[in-house]
Amino acid sequence: LSHEPGGDWGDLARKLDWELRYVREEDAFPVEQSGRPWLPGEAWRDWEEPYRTSYPDYVEGQHRKEEAVRAVRDALGRVSDVEKLDRAWLSAVKLHTATFTLAEYAAVIGNLRAARFGRDAAWRSTALFGALDECRHTQIPLLIAHDLVRFDPQFDWTHRLFHSQCWVGVAARRLVDEMLLLADPVEMAVATNFVFETGFTNLQFVGLAALADGAGDHLFRRMATSIQTDEARHSQIGWPVLVKLVAHDKARAQYLVDKWMWRTWLFFSVVTGIAMDYLTPLAARTSSFREFVGEWVLDQFLPLVERAGLERPWYWSTLQESVAHYHHMVYASAYTYRSTVWFDMVVPGPEERRWLAAKYPESWPDYEPVWDRISERWREAGPGLELAVQGTAIVGFCHMCQLVLSGGTPRRNAAVTAEHGGERYIFCSEPCRWIFEQEPERYVGHRDLVKRVLAGEAPGNLLALLTRYCGLSRPVWGKDVRNGDYPWLRTPDEGAR
Amino acid sequence: VTLVPLYGFLEGDTLGLLVLARSSQSVEELATTLRRAARLRAGFDGPAEVTFAGRVLSPSSTVASAGLRPLDRIDVRRVRPCP
Repeated sequence: LSHEPGGDWGDLARKLDWELRYVREEDAFPVEQSGRPWLPGEAWRDWEEPYRTSYPDYVEGQHRKEEAVRAVRDALGRVSDVEKLDRAWLSAVKLHTATFTLAEYAAVIGNLRAARFGRDAAWRSTALFGALDECRHTQIPLLIAHDLVRFDPQFDWTHRLFHSQCWVGVAARRLVDEMLLLADPVEMAVATNFVFETGFTNLQFVGLAALADGAGDHLFRRMATSIQTDEARHSQIGWPVLVKLVAHDKARAQYLVDKWMWRTWLFFSVVTGIAMDYLTPLAARTSSFREFVGEWVLDQFLPLVERAGLERPWYWSTLQESVAHYHHMVYASAYTYRSTVWFDMVVPGPEERRWLAAKYPESWPDYEPVWDRISERWREAGPGLELAVQGTAIVGFCHMCQLVLSGGTPRRNAAVTAEHGGERYIFCSEPCRWIFEQEPERYVGHRDLVKRVLAGEAPGNLLALLTRYCGLSRPVWGKDVRNGDYPWLRTPDEGAR
Repeated sequence: VTLVPLYGFLEGDTLGLLVLARSSQSVEELATTLRRAARLRAGFDGPAEVTFAGRVLSPSSTVASAGLRPLDRIDVRRVRPCP
């Protein structure tokens, strides 16, 4: 019998399923664990995905990938190699490793739930490979970053972020906990395998990886593309589950796609948008974040949604505006509160601003005055005076995504409020409020940083908040990459414009 | 006098801030507080107006008399000349 995909033995192993005689199917696969809509097993028997990998194939393929990554790490992963890289680019790496690494570990658990409670044996087999994949995706960046901690303690946040109360960590946990730990296998397949992995991970693991080569970071490129080959395989769980969901409960399918597309969008806009358009050296930028989104999400992923028989998300116009604004809003905000995160940031200089203006002609003019003011503050303060160019007021956070209230545009912030059970809530945007209103009982218990401060659980003093509550310290917290010492700031005639 | 935490949005800024207002504080002072808190990123010359739930608040009204409650959203915007 052949082990090859489609071979007799391979298919027998992948599709080998239980014939239940001592328990009811509803007890072996309870709806709470297996997901809604609950369908009899017979309805899932035609479930199929294109890779049809056997275990021997999997082990052999993964071994080859591991060897390739290890070879690059041995050749290029030394501190002396990393020291040569642009400091702002290193911040893109720190942002990536801290936000993805332990999320991948949560994905191990989500995949293992599907490997037990997924409704077809082939789905469960693929999810088991997915769990092994995600274990690898946790271990590779942890290994690489661990080597670098002695060179730069900010790399320690590859592991620490998800265990901290730093607002980015709170937001990332909020997303990951629901998407990977709380979601049943049906919701996880739509949220993670279809929307997150099929729709968006190309932005980071292909798009940003390509920019990494230009930045001279071949280790990052190798790591990311190796991970993406795994993602491409196990993401295939999403489509057949979505198709089944559309056939039996189209309204729920639409709801899940709308919900997770928005939440996923915010995550990638912050992580990939900032990395591509601000932290990547200008010479290495081949395309803007918006161009990557246009190619990977709008041109390739969105037609898939429509092919499944679903509509574009109801907030389509909001999403389009957000593509041109959201990461610019967040980056300018975060720059002025950079001591609240674990990586350094850079002021876009005249050349970067010309590039951004060309890539975002209709939205960038809103951000010129913001960076003019920040540049002017650096000019007045002089290099090294970090705290003179930092915000001190308490920032507002969205109750849903837990990110800063940076929806909309500088002309009109998109924040909206709602009341539920006598409590008041604020959201960064209409889609975040809509998600809350669909299942308020799922979200009311979460308290954002502002509510924790007001309840006395977190200190209101910024320094105490950073050190005692968020776990940051002066050597680690974010600073300006060049300590404000930009050549173009030195004389008024060579000002920011 | 009680403290009323409000979400404030200054025109031109990139995020919303928490403003801890006193119930007796005037709306004009409230606008000044927010402009000061956001000035690293945004600001404008000339007078400002405070809007809440789609209406412009009187500068001389207080936080309490304007009906502002904890965690309300207020906006501080540039006063535009009448057309």
